[in-house]
Amino acid sequence: MNKRIAPYYWMTVPAVVLFFVFMTLPALQGIYYSFTNYNGFGKEYDFVGFKNYFNLFQDDNVGNAYWFTFKFAIVVTILTNILSLLIALGLNAKIKFRNFFRGIYFLPNILSVLIVGYIFNYLFSNVFPTWGQNLGINALSTNILGSESLAWIGIVIVAVWQSVALNTILYLAGLQTIPTTLYEASNLDGAGKWREFWSITFPLIAPFFTINMVLAMKNSLMVFDQIVALTNGGPGRATQSISHLIYTGGFEGGEYAYQSANSVIYFIVIAVISILQIRFLQRREMDL
Amino acid sequence: MMAVLLSSCTSGDSANGKVQIEFFQNKPEAKTTFDELIKTFNAEHDDIQVTQVNPPDAETVLKTRVVKNDIPDIMAMGATDTYSILAQSDIFTDLTDSSLLQTIDPNYIQMLNDLTGMDEVTGIPYATNANGIMYNKTLFKEMGLDVPKTWDELIATAQKIKDAGEIPFYFTYKDDWQTSLPFNALASNLVGIDFYQERRDNKVTFKEKYREVAEKQLELMKYGHGDNFGKAYSDGNRAFANGEAFMYIQGTWAISEIRKANPNVDIGFFPFPTGNDASEIKLVNGIDSLFTIAEDTPNREQAETFIAFLLEPENIGRYIDEQTLFSAVEGVKQDDPAVQELMPYIEQGKVIDFPDHYIPAAVQLNSIVQSFLQNQNIDNYLDTLDKEWDKVANRR
Repeated sequence: MNKRIAPYYWMTVPAVVLFFVFMTLPALQGIYYSFTNYNGFGKEYDFVGFKNYFNLFQDDNVGNAYWFTFKFAIVVTILTNILSLLIALGLNAKIKFRNFFRGIYFLPNILSVLIVGYIFNYLFSNVFPTWGQNLGINALSTNILGSESLAWIGIVIVAVWQSVALNTILYLAGLQTIPTTLYEASNLDGAGKWREFWSITFPLIAPFFTINMVLAMKNSLMVFDQIVALTNGGPGRATQSISHLIYTGGFEGGEYAYQSANSVIYFIVIAVISILQIRFLQRREMDL
Repeated sequence: MMAVLLSSCTSGDSANGKVQIEFFQNKPEAKTTFDELIKTFNAEHDDIQVTQVNPPDAETVLKTRVVKNDIPDIMAMGATDTYSILAQSDIFTDLTDSSLLQTIDPNYIQMLNDLTGMDEVTGIPYATNANGIMYNKTLFKEMGLDVPKTWDELIATAQKIKDAGEIPFYFTYKDDWQTSLPFNALASNLVGIDFYQERRDNKVTFKEKYREVAEKQLELMKYGHGDNFGKAYSDGNRAFANGEAFMYIQGTWAISEIRKANPNVDIGFFPFPTGNDASEIKLVNGIDSLFTIAEDTPNREQAETFIAFLLEPENIGRYIDEQTLFSAVEGVKQDDPAVQELMPYIEQGKVIDFPDHYIPAAVQLNSIVQSFLQNQNIDNYLDTLDKEWDKVANRR
C-alpha cells in the first residue's frame, strides 16, 4: 500500500464499520421486522409478508399523520427561511452591538428542544390565556394547545422560534461570501436597496438558500420533541406527526413490526423529497 | 475484558457473597417508600441484597429490556395492557400455587385472570387505587351541599354550583389520559367488563352498548371551567388544592400531589354515581401495583422472600399510608380521612376493574375520547372505537 494513502484508510475504514454497525444494521433489522408481526418483546413472531404495508395504506391514522406533518413542514420551512433571511440581512449590516445581537439570535439553538417545549407549554397554558383575559381578547383567553384546530399553530411557533437560529447563522455565512466590490459597483450604477437584494444578494446566496430549505424541510418532517413537550399528539390525534405515531404505536402500543413498516415508507418519502428539493433548487444556483 | 464487563452486569452472587436481587418498579411516587422498606429488608438479611430500579417511563424501559433478554428479578407494575401482553409472552414465573397468594383478596386475583385471559396467576396484587369524584369538603359545607348518590343528584349539585357562579368540575383534558377517568367509571358501571370478552369474540360493538356512556360524559362537559382542554393534570391538582373548583373527577393517586400543593385542603371522595339506583353503583378499583418474578431468574427463592416481606401487614400498611392506596392483602385497612367514604365499597367487594385496561394500547383510547369531547359527535366516536378496535385486532 502506498504510504501516503494509508492514513486515509485509517480514517475511513473505522468510520465505515461504525456507520454500518450503528446505522445500517439497525435499518436492515427494521426492514426485516417490517415483514413480521413482532410486537417488540415476545419470544415468538411469524412472517406475514406485506400485510403490514397493506394495512398501512388503509389506516387513516397514518394518513392523518402524513397530512399533519406535510402541512406543518411546509409552513415551518417557509416561515423559518423568510425570518432567518431577514434577521441575517439585519445582522450583516453595520449596526451597533452587532455581535451581541448575533449571540442573542443564536441562543434558541443552544437550548434543548424539550426544555424549550416545556417552557412554552407552561406559557401557552398559564401565561398567554391570562393576558388574553386581561386584554379582553377572546381568541387568546384559552390555551391554543387544547384546541384541535389551533394546536398546530402553537407547535409551528415553537419550531420556527428555535430553527430560525441555525438558519440565520448559515445565511450570515452566505452573506459574508459576497464581495463588497459588487455593492460598490451597483451603488455607482444607482441601484436601490431592493434592486440590490434581488439582483445581487439573493442570487449569490442561492447555495445557502438550497441547503437551508433542505435542512428546514428535513428537520420539520421529522418533528418529534416539540410535539412530545407541547401536545403529545393531541388533542385527539390533531397534532400527531409521523415520527410521533411511529414511536407511540411501536413502543407504547406494542406494534413494533407494523410501525417498522411505517418507518421504512417514511424513510423513502423523506429521501425522495430531499433529493427532489436539492435537484430543483440547485438548478437555479449560480457561481461567481 | 468484555466478558468480565458483561458478566458483572447479570444478577447473581456478587463479590460480597450476597445474592443480588433487582427490584424494578414503575411508580416514581413510591421510590422513597420502597427505598426505606428495602433498607430494612437488607439489614435483616445477611445473604440477600435488594436494589431498586425506577427509571422514568418505566414500562417502555421494561419492554426494551425484555427484548434484550435482560429481565429484572422482580418487576412491579400496574395491572394494565402491558402486564397482560407480557404475561402472555411467558416471561413471568407461574405463581398459581405460591403461598404468597394466601393473604391476598381473591377478588384481585380474579381480576388478573380476567385481564390476561389465562388460568395461571403470574402476578401478586399488592396495592390498589380507586377512581371516583373528589370534592372539597369545606366548599360543600359552605354552600350546604350533600354528597350526591345518584346521577340526577350529581347533575343537580353541579347545576347549583354553576348557578352560584362557581366551577363544579375542574377538567384537565389537555392530558388525554384524564378524559378516560369518567369513561372508566361510566363504562364499567353502565356496560360492564364482560363486554370486552364479547367484543374480542366480535359478538357486540361499542355502537350498540356505549351510547349512554358517551351521552353522560358529554353532559358533564357543561359543568367545567372556561378552558377544559387547556389545563393539564398538574394544573388541576394545584387549582383543586386552592379551592378553585368544588369537584374533581380523579383517582386516589392524586391525593398526595394535591396535599403537596396545599396541606390544609379538606378532601373527600365519593364513588362516581353513574346511574339512578344508588345501591347498584360500584367503585372503580384497580390494581395499582403487582409483583411478578422473572421466569428465568436463578434466585426465585430469594425473590419470594423479599415479596413476602413487602406483604407483611406492617410493611404494606406503611406503603398504602404513604401512597394513599388500598391494600390487596386482606385485613390491612386504609384509614386516611379523605377516602373513608370509599372504604365500605372496598370492604363489601362492591368494586369493578378499570375498563381501559382491557382495551389494547394500540387503540389509543385516550386520544379517541379526548377528540370526541372536542367535536362532540357521538356517532362518529362510537364508529371510531369499533373501527380502531377491529384494525388493531386485525394487525395482531
